[in-house]
Amino acid sequence: MQNLEDEIRRVFGEVWKLEVGTEVPELKPDTVLLETGLDSLGFAIFVSALDEELGYDPFVLADDAYYPQTFAEFVAFYEKYRPAA
Amino acid sequence: MTALSKRIAGDDGDPVLQGSGGRTATTADLAATGLSDRIAADDRVALAVADPFEAVRALALLDGRVAAILLLSRSLAPDLVAELADKAGCTLCISDRTLALPGDLCLVPSGEMAGDRTDADAATAWLMTTSGTTGTPKIIPHNLRSLSHSVYRFGPETRPAWGLLYDPTRFAGLQVALQALVGGGRLIVTDPDAGIGAQVAALAEGGCTHLSATPTLWRRVLMTPGHDRLSLQQVTLGGEIADQSTLDALARAFPDARRTHIYASTEAGVGFSVTDGKAGFPETYLGNAPGRIRMDVRDGILWLKPAETALTTGVDGVEIDADGFVNSGDRVAVSDGRVTFLGRENGLINVGGAKVHPETVEAVIRSVPGVALVRVSGKASPVMGALVVAEIQLDAGADKDETRTRVQEACRAKLNREAMPASLRFVEDFEINASGKLVRART
Repeated sequence: MQNLEDEIRRVFGEVWKLEVGTEVPELKPDTVLLETGLDSLGFAIFVSALDEELGYDPFVLADDAYYPQTFAEFVAFYEKYRPAA
Repeated sequence: MTALSKRIAGDDGDPVLQGSGGRTATTADLAATGLSDRIAADDRVALAVADPFEAVRALALLDGRVAAILLLSRSLAPDLVAELADKAGCTLCISDRTLALPGDLCLVPSGEMAGDRTDADAATAWLMTTSGTTGTPKIIPHNLRSLSHSVYRFGPETRPAWGLLYDPTRFAGLQVALQALVGGGRLIVTDPDAGIGAQVAALAEGGCTHLSATPTLWRRVLMTPGHDRLSLQQVTLGGEIADQSTLDALARAFPDARRTHIYASTEAGVGFSVTDGKAGFPETYLGNAPGRIRMDVRDGILWLKPAETALTTGVDGVEIDADGFVNSGDRVAVSDGRVTFLGRENGLINVGGAKVHPETVEAVIRSVPGVALVRVSGKASPVMGALVVAEIQLDAGADKDETRTRVQEACRAKLNREAMPASLRFVEDFEINASGKLVRART
């Protein structure tokens, strides 16, 4: 996988197009994910789609439940639990 | 019985009801406000008020002054409002929306519901509606007494400030509203259209101390910046299975709060709460359950015996044994002294509190040309509890991408959003069991 952040952006864009249908919002490091307009269900579908694309789900792997708020925190969370190649 | 407007506790002049935009009402305000004389004591009122502050105020105005109140959710489509109002024999409708209603149903805008009628001795029926993801909701008759019998009365020194994130016309939201108003607290109503960030900010600003939500809604709160400004003493979870990681995350976020998760069985009509912060409930409850209920685990299914019940076996598909134990339909596991919930026996999928029948989704997908077989199941989701997934076997020669698009279109047209499969997987074949049925995956 080339760049994890790019991959996450790509999957976000796909889920957004299906779930929301409007122009995909820009994801900056400090963008609060739940303020993009993606609701809980949309967010759950995004996490599920990432699991299918990347082959892992840090929300399941993490021992302690963690809820990232911003896009940067979200990417860092996926980096942290990325399986060693 | 005493009408709601006379049962609201706390008469120290402080607001008991707070809404968005700085709106407040005190106990005296609610007790003194009369009802418009356009609304008569024998009227059956469909309450279709989208603004939750006005909806709660309307309940205080109407109880004891009309024959029945039909509580309708803001999420109901206008044609369902008309259909349910007709079914409940409603004579007028109070709303803050423009609704096309049948000719014989008179519309009173919610802004005009107050007036001079202060009599309050009618026995008002409270008609609740079920929240299903498919079909017309069912109407369940209640009254203020049956709805408020589990209200805990706090002393005046406590005055809990309950936050309302739920829809007050639904069972869970109404419980919160009545607990706050009748139980000696205050109710902080948030604007559901403002978004979770603004709702959490409004609760923090209003001094919310007690908050009730589904595990899915709690995870959403935890993902919202500023949730650390909430100083909660009570965190209540209900409506879905409360899992350990969500309970733990809430303990870290709100270290001073008591955590309560509620189990309720619609089948048995009973429930109980657990406050030790651990998922499931202690195995000792099987011998000695809280309240006056009894419990038993048979073949991995929880059976409950209510203290009193009007149920008879076979009615509405409820199964009862000779000793009065009711099949809850909830699958459980018993290990290490703990009983934990696994999901529903019939495969019902709970998507963030919305209950989805896999058979309904399968029927929609099966009707799409190109689909030979389909199996719908739940997939565990760390965000929503569960998501709906569909596995599809194509007819020979059918195009995968074309079928995918058609399935997505059919689901969007015929299903609620929660019921639409979050993912579609194409498979070569399915496992068929001895009786020739598809083997249903269990979550």
